Amino acid sequence: MRTDVVKMYKDVHTWVGIVSGLCLFIAFYAGALTMFETAVQGWASPPPNLPAAVSVEDTPKLIAATIAAHPEVAKEYEINLDVGPQAPARMTWHVDGPSGKRGDEIHFASALTPGGQLVVARQDETPVAQWIDVLHQQVGLPFDHEIAMPIMGAISLLYAIALVSGVIAFLPSLTKDLFALRIGRNLKRMWLDVHNVLGVFSLPFHVIMALTAVVFAFHDQFYDTQNAALYGGKIDAIWAEGRPKTQKHPPGAPVLTPAQMIQRIDEQAPGFRLLRIGYATNPKGQVQARLQGEDARYGMRGPTFGLATADAVSGDLIQSEYLPGHQVGWAAAVTGFFTLHFGSFGGPAVRWGYFALGLAGAFLFYSGNLLWIESRRKRMAKRNPTAVVQSRSTQVLGALTIGVALGSVAGVSATLAAAKWLPGRAEDLMAAHMWVYYAVFLSCVTWAFLRGAARAAPELLWACAAATLLVPLSSLLGVLGVVGWVHPESLIVDLTALAGVAAFALMARLTARRLAEGPTDSVWSAATPEPAVAG
Amino acid sequence: MARTVAVPKDQQLTSRNWFGKASAGLILGYGLALSLSGLFAWFGPGGYGGPVKVQFNMWMMSPIWALVLSFCFFFRDGLRAWLWLGGANILAFGLLFAGRAVLA
Repeated sequence: MRTDVVKMYKDVHTWVGIVSGLCLFIAFYAGALTMFETAVQGWASPPPNLPAAVSVEDTPKLIAATIAAHPEVAKEYEINLDVGPQAPARMTWHVDGPSGKRGDEIHFASALTPGGQLVVARQDETPVAQWIDVLHQQVGLPFDHEIAMPIMGAISLLYAIALVSGVIAFLPSLTKDLFALRIGRNLKRMWLDVHNVLGVFSLPFHVIMALTAVVFAFHDQFYDTQNAALYGGKIDAIWAEGRPKTQKHPPGAPVLTPAQMIQRIDEQAPGFRLLRIGYATNPKGQVQARLQGEDARYGMRGPTFGLATADAVSGDLIQSEYLPGHQVGWAAAVTGFFTLHFGSFGGPAVRWGYFALGLAGAFLFYSGNLLWIESRRKRMAKRNPTAVVQSRSTQVLGALTIGVALGSVAGVSATLAAAKWLPGRAEDLMAAHMWVYYAVFLSCVTWAFLRGAARAAPELLWACAAATLLVPLSSLLGVLGVVGWVHPESLIVDLTALAGVAAFALMARLTARRLAEGPTDSVWSAATPEPAVAG
Repeated sequence: MARTVAVPKDQQLTSRNWFGKASAGLILGYGLALSLSGLFAWFGPGGYGGPVKVQFNMWMMSPIWALVLSFCFFFRDGLRAWLWLGGANILAFGLLFAGRAVLA
């Protein structure tokens, strides 16, 4: 390997890393949490304001009673086969919200009392899991989707460059350093070893994330330019070929009940466990059953489910391109890309694996920034051996790294805990979650600048521990009946949060020790004079 | 044992002239992704494959674009990057449109 090539790609790696690292930290931390979207959603969902869900066998009575009272529902409604804290009602539907935009719908659910009386209630989903997902998708940026996505795409391209350049820069010393983790007095050496070993061993994961994220950011632009350059503007006609096969039933033909549908799908796709059936009448008056289900043996197109469409009258599958285990050729390959990003294969073991890889990824970016600060210190010291003062750029980046990374961690914990406090107190829950997050996040960033990276680090780690402790604390208050509620099924969320509290507290103590004992000219020394913005 | 080798100073690569190289990688890399995915779409395995292959063709954009953008720093300067990648674009789009004309 040529020295100049290694040097050049080291420079490239440094700069793309500095520009994209903090956004990627937030994306990876929030992304790791989305692995348990369903569990978090359950934890944060208020108890149902409806009688207990009827059995699958009795569901036709519920459907008939609901449609009799609200005829407009007949056109489109959903039957939930996976009743739990995150989705307590059996039958749901939605109407357009005031703005008419997607994502602004008003949701309703219905149930029967033990005596057979119909009860209908508005039932909007708690938005916190979705909010964390959006934070992940938009790499922490509080902008409109249309503005945030191209920025996310640019960050993803920088991330791809960072992966290639990082590997090239590390190649010459790969055989020497790969299995070396030198824990000792030279802390920079240790951080670099950790950064390298994490980077190399999780490289396949990172390659997948970078390339899929570029597609998620730019798929509209990709399709539009390909349509113009490759398909002569006829892409809509190509899409039309993929619509489900047409059905021909007389108007008003009776549709299969959920129990019958489960049986018919089980005959055609054994092992595909149905989670949800959406009955929808198309413009030609034919009823289709849009199926969501899971099959841990195969990759699934959605983050938590695979998809298929059936004829609601006969129960025949009329579109199985996204049905786990029934995909062939190109469809299987494309689903593979989604699946590898979502970790939606292999069940809980893979989800925990992705969770760990996501947190390791966040740590990779964090350690990258710290390495930049340390090498800058060394270079400065060489140039001016008597100086013990940090340059302004290292102070700013140090404060920014600590503030943004720990601020996003504390903010996510706080806004999750707030899910048990906000219902009934806030009009627009989505906006309230945003305010809670950004209030905590910006306070942490401000704190890091006011105190300097060194002093702020242990303090903000304690803040992360405290904010995360609010999650199980809110559940405890739910048990005592003070606030919110508690679902026994969601205990795992509280336990995981408690493990997080312990981890943050441990990190806070270790950082405080380094602060007291580390070299005084380090950006991590408490002896650092006054912080960046004060000067 | 030396793991790296040095080359004469005037042939050395540097990150200083990154802008010319990176802009070529960004813009012409996109063109290359578009034309190569087009060649794959029409003349690759399966030929024209309907609505599902159209999705796969779209996914091809990302790795090609990212690879060109990552390796464009191997050009010695911005001018060479623009000329080589421009030439590659002309070749790939030329093949695509010629092939489409023959096929039509």
